Amino acid sequence: MDPFDAALDLLRRLPPSSTQQNLNGIIALRPDLEEDLLSSVDVALTSKRCTKTGRDYLCCDYNRDDSSYRSPWSNEFEPPIEAEAAADLIPGGRIRRMEESLNAGVDVYRELYYEGGVSSAYLWALEEGFAGVVLFKKTSSAGGSAGKGGWDSIHVLEVSEAAGKRSAHYKLTSTVILDLGLSSSAVDNLELAGNLTRQTESDLALTHSGSRESDIEQSHVVNIGRMVEDMETRMRNLLQEVYFGKAKDVVGDLRSIQPLSEVGRERDAHRDVISKMGR
Amino acid sequence: MASKGATVSSFVQSAPPGELSNVVEDIKALAPNEVRSLEPAFKKYNEEQYSTVKLPGSSEVVLVSSYNTLNDGRYFDTASQTSFETASNAQSYTLDSSHADTVRSLLKSFSAAATEHFPSSTVGVYPTDSDSSVAILLVANKYSPQNFWNGRWRSSYLLNPTGNSVTGAIKVDVHYYEDGNVRMSTSKKVELSGSSADGIVREIAKAENKFQEELNRAFSTLAEGSFKGLRRQLPVTRQRVEWEKIAGYRLGQDIGGGRSK
Repeated sequence: MDPFDAALDLLRRLPPSSTQQNLNGIIALRPDLEEDLLSSVDVALTSKRCTKTGRDYLCCDYNRDDSSYRSPWSNEFEPPIEAEAAADLIPGGRIRRMEESLNAGVDVYRELYYEGGVSSAYLWALEEGFAGVVLFKKTSSAGGSAGKGGWDSIHVLEVSEAAGKRSAHYKLTSTVILDLGLSSSAVDNLELAGNLTRQTESDLALTHSGSRESDIEQSHVVNIGRMVEDMETRMRNLLQEVYFGKAKDVVGDLRSIQPLSEVGRERDAHRDVISKMGR
Repeated sequence: MASKGATVSSFVQSAPPGELSNVVEDIKALAPNEVRSLEPAFKKYNEEQYSTVKLPGSSEVVLVSSYNTLNDGRYFDTASQTSFETASNAQSYTLDSSHADTVRSLLKSFSAAATEHFPSSTVGVYPTDSDSSVAILLVANKYSPQNFWNGRWRSSYLLNPTGNSVTGAIKVDVHYYEDGNVRMSTSKKVELSGSSADGIVREIAKAENKFQEELNRAFSTLAEGSFKGLRRQLPVTRQRVEWEKIAGYRLGQDIGGGRSK
């Protein structure tokens, strides 16, 4: 097996609550995989406060340079990085305009859906088109028998514009890391933690009168926002199904509260009724 | 920084139910030189997870734990009175314990009770090392790798034969990994007492039923509480976001910055 595939397979199997620790362990075993793993394994997001604006922003591999992170609010790296690197990594022009507008949009979206939390969006230019990431983080502080929780969503986008900029192709890969737990006297400890990843692609129109660049930029923000909203809504349903439906069903498959002899008798009685009805 | 050996051993220790061989394959691909150092980790995994073994020359399935280990790397089974190395070389084994009768009657009741609640399970009853108590163990596995999930239920009880009191723990692990990695793990300590083998086994079933009902309630608590509090299904307005008009949302200007919660 290819070592990189083995690393991803391992991280898909070992407890998701220890992904960061296991990732560090794999990198210590195989330093040659570090770069590839850091850009393809999603771990819980951390937030920092932008010293210039006082607003919180989220950190990931896409706004990182060494140990500095770029704030989407100030568009500056903290701590500052060398001018030469900054010229490469700090977006300007249309990419930065779209980034600012996307950040304003997801900020409203975040308040409507998350009623708190932190959001950040980062864009960067590709040789053709551009790419980006939209991030949300929310933690619920209640503890004990009421439970605690953390939600991190990471939406990575690749956008390529069709000739004439009438439409664009969007590829979205979304991961939600959902960490829930409670402790009470009834169940000493329950931990439900993990992550799910889904992908989608779509061709969407860019609405603009004539070829006004600002309309095209706005159209991208609308398309990205809507795709992220659709995907998060879908994934929320999926998470609900897996965390509360599937996990509970598997426990029920392992052990039946109702004695199995009763279950068997009921099934026989039921079959009996059905066969009589068929006569 | 942990040594390479400690790192790969920790991977083995935390392998999900039914996926140890996959984890070992991954370790082989990542660090082939470390594989031979894994023997102690395998032993620990088998004894903690109550790995099941088919008795050589028999269709009987038995479990492996720290309670039925013999010092020479062999394990013993009280029901079939056999000792075995994992998967080979079975020999007859005579139980030498002052609680041999208790072991036998518990084994009978507990096996019968297990089939009432577990579609498939393996049980074991063993006197402990110093013969001061009797261990009552159960493991139930259900693996469905083609559907990307696996589960394991473990029950462990220690009977103090002088006071007929029992302390124990129930542990359940579920792994779901279709385009993701979701793990449920839960544990519950249990204390009970009973005056006969049948009585103890009845109390165990009662305690396990209660735990399972509480666990189902805990799922609802998390679904209705923490989960709902993280992200709404729809905004309060019950309307999806109108992205075309998002620049005009008053809210956008009002919420400002600096909110960290």
